[in-house]
Amino acid sequence: MRPILIALFLSLPAALHAQSGDEYAPASRAATDAVTEDAARAIVASAIDGHVLPGFDVLAAEAEALAGVASTDCIPGSEALRTAWNAAFDAWIRVSHLRFGPAETDNRAFALAFWPDTRGATPSALGQLLSDEDPVIGTETGFATVSVAARGFYAMEFLLYDDVLSAEAQGPYGCALVRAAAVDIAATAEAIRDDWRDSYAGLMRTAGDNAHYQSAEEALRALYGALDQGLEFDADVRLGRPLGTFDRPRPARAEARRSLRSLRNLVLSVESLRELAAILATAPGADAARVDAAFATALDRAARLDDPAFAGVDDPQGRLRVEVLQQAVQSARDTVRAEIGPALGVAAGFNSLDGD
Amino acid sequence: MTRAALMGSAALAAWGAAAAAQDAAGVVSHYADMAEAQYADSLAAAETLDAAVDAFLAAPSPEGLQAARAAWLAARVPYQQTEVFRFGNPVVDDWEGRVNAWPLDEGLIDYVDAGYGGPTDDNEYAVLNVIATESFELSGETVDATEITPALLQDTLQEADGVEANVATGYHAIEFLLWGQDLNGHDHGAGDRPWTDFAAGDDCTNGNCDRRGQYLDAATDLLVTDLQEIVAAWGADGEARAAVTADPQAGLSAMLTGMGSLSYGEQAGERMRLGLMLNDPEEEHDCFSDNTHNSHYYDGLGVQNVYLGQYVRIDGTLVDGPSLSDLVAATDPALDAEMRTRLAETMQALGRIKTAAEAGFSYDQMLERGNAAGEALVMGGVNGLIAQTESIERVVAALGLDGFAIEGSDSLDDPSAVFQ
Repeated sequence: MRPILIALFLSLPAALHAQSGDEYAPASRAATDAVTEDAARAIVASAIDGHVLPGFDVLAAEAEALAGVASTDCIPGSEALRTAWNAAFDAWIRVSHLRFGPAETDNRAFALAFWPDTRGATPSALGQLLSDEDPVIGTETGFATVSVAARGFYAMEFLLYDDVLSAEAQGPYGCALVRAAAVDIAATAEAIRDDWRDSYAGLMRTAGDNAHYQSAEEALRALYGALDQGLEFDADVRLGRPLGTFDRPRPARAEARRSLRSLRNLVLSVESLRELAAILATAPGADAARVDAAFATALDRAARLDDPAFAGVDDPQGRLRVEVLQQAVQSARDTVRAEIGPALGVAAGFNSLDGD
Repeated sequence: MTRAALMGSAALAAWGAAAAAQDAAGVVSHYADMAEAQYADSLAAAETLDAAVDAFLAAPSPEGLQAARAAWLAARVPYQQTEVFRFGNPVVDDWEGRVNAWPLDEGLIDYVDAGYGGPTDDNEYAVLNVIATESFELSGETVDATEITPALLQDTLQEADGVEANVATGYHAIEFLLWGQDLNGHDHGAGDRPWTDFAAGDDCTNGNCDRRGQYLDAATDLLVTDLQEIVAAWGADGEARAAVTADPQAGLSAMLTGMGSLSYGEQAGERMRLGLMLNDPEEEHDCFSDNTHNSHYYDGLGVQNVYLGQYVRIDGTLVDGPSLSDLVAATDPALDAEMRTRLAETMQALGRIKTAAEAGFSYDQMLERGNAAGEALVMGGVNGLIAQTESIERVVAALGLDGFAIEGSDSLDDPSAVFQ
């Protein structure tokens, strides 16, 4: 934001022209800075060091461990394989709201996590590969050209837990497919982590001195947007999809229901967003305690739910408890918008949920 | 400058603010005028399409089908440019699904190839085929479909069972009836429905030709009446106009919300990147007619139109007036230059897709797995749209509109968005 005096100065010539009828004066309501450039940079640095980099470090490590387990154990029903997959998926969920920058490059976030899948692309793409025994999965570069619906954590869930596909994946080709998916996840996670470490964190830290982030405020907006959109996704998609409408609940649309991870994913996401919110709430003027309490309420509601795949949306009692959780997540989002947005002087930008 | 120097600074500030408010009002008012002109053009083109369909159905022939297809393609040119008016304006967004809903499970409407599959987890009516079915159960109720009327399409079949893929009305339902499924996969070629699907008596192919004709007639009639409604909504006393002109600052915010939401979540995400990432030719926006390159191009042009305050009507006249660009240039000329450049770069990238498609490298070929040239073309458009969204966010901040919540459509809760 430009200081108000400069805005007025710049507006003068146009304002004079405006009287003669041809030109249009600017909006002169330049906003005042909510945080100084230095304070903004400090908050960005805390978020990178305390939230972003550690999160992607854990993801890369867990994904590598998954690829290691899959190299020796590729049977869909294997407990060791499932445990490694769950641990890596946990790590992804904790950073899944950080979809800008390195996660957006080369569609990496989609390659790790294609969901929701409204047209059943994942089972159909996997079924196609299995029935064709398509040799494209034989190399890492080959597999990277495959439809994102057949890659990443959600595709692996079908291979490990879906009754039909896990049976089809018992043979040698299925084993190769499980390994290819795990290796691909590891490579993608490593690429995201390396980009963050080697370049993107630097761009955010030096916001204002590079073209990508023209001010520290823009870097803050990216982080704040990730927080806001993460909460929106939790409320509207992770919870909203299975809720459907009262007359037409849609339990089959719950995220990762085959592995009974729907509630777990929601909780991991809200916990991680709470961590990011706490860092952003260090901005002067934000009531950090109020923000934290809103998250605590949401997590408390989740802890009482005892419905791992939101299957209860089908009956009125169970539905009510999922709705109560959804309201608590929405309320956390409202609190973030009331406390953190104004304190940082930013609004969430456009997001992927815009559109229809 | 001399006069300004004589004024006290407080008086100057007040005067500047008043001038700015007036200018915002001028910009949103011109924006509403542009919208009215664009929907009026869309209506005129839809009336031409309706007339071509009526003539074809009165005396089915290969030439008649060709003429109807040509009219449909022409009708898309003005309509796609209006998409930017949707997001941020609840009046338009609530209406829009009736005319341009997509993607659709076309088996709801008519016969489909065996490879299309059956009912899905998400949609148990994916292969209802109302053209072949005079009576059926829908969500527990018996539906009498002996006559296929606009009311049946709009009130009963559209979004049947609460599933958005049940698209019974609008451009894409009409497109499916004119072209049929595109069974060429990733190969060049559009849908190839025979004209005899609408022929009388023994010439009729694929059965129920009279009912297919009823459906096409009802859908084109509806398109015209739906567009009449939205043209009126942008008229002097219309609700869509009031939604953006009542509070000019909110109107500016709605303009930028439309530009950003269409650029990023909708076009770059749902419509372009998704098809590429899934390598799925069915993810083409105009998949039956293979007109997707134009669909994307005119969507992008609509965004640029709004920023520049300019629109070329279907009779060739230029609509021009106070623009967002004028406002930004007066506040931050460098940002105005950046915004114009990024919009132009996007149009160049979308132009390359259009050029290649018109030269015979069709959009579904671009989506094929391992097709590097196609991927580069599509990603060029996606990257341009993402880059221009960053600039749109800067414009929002520069015009002091950060206080307005920037949301997409009120269909944000819709789960089919891709960037999730």
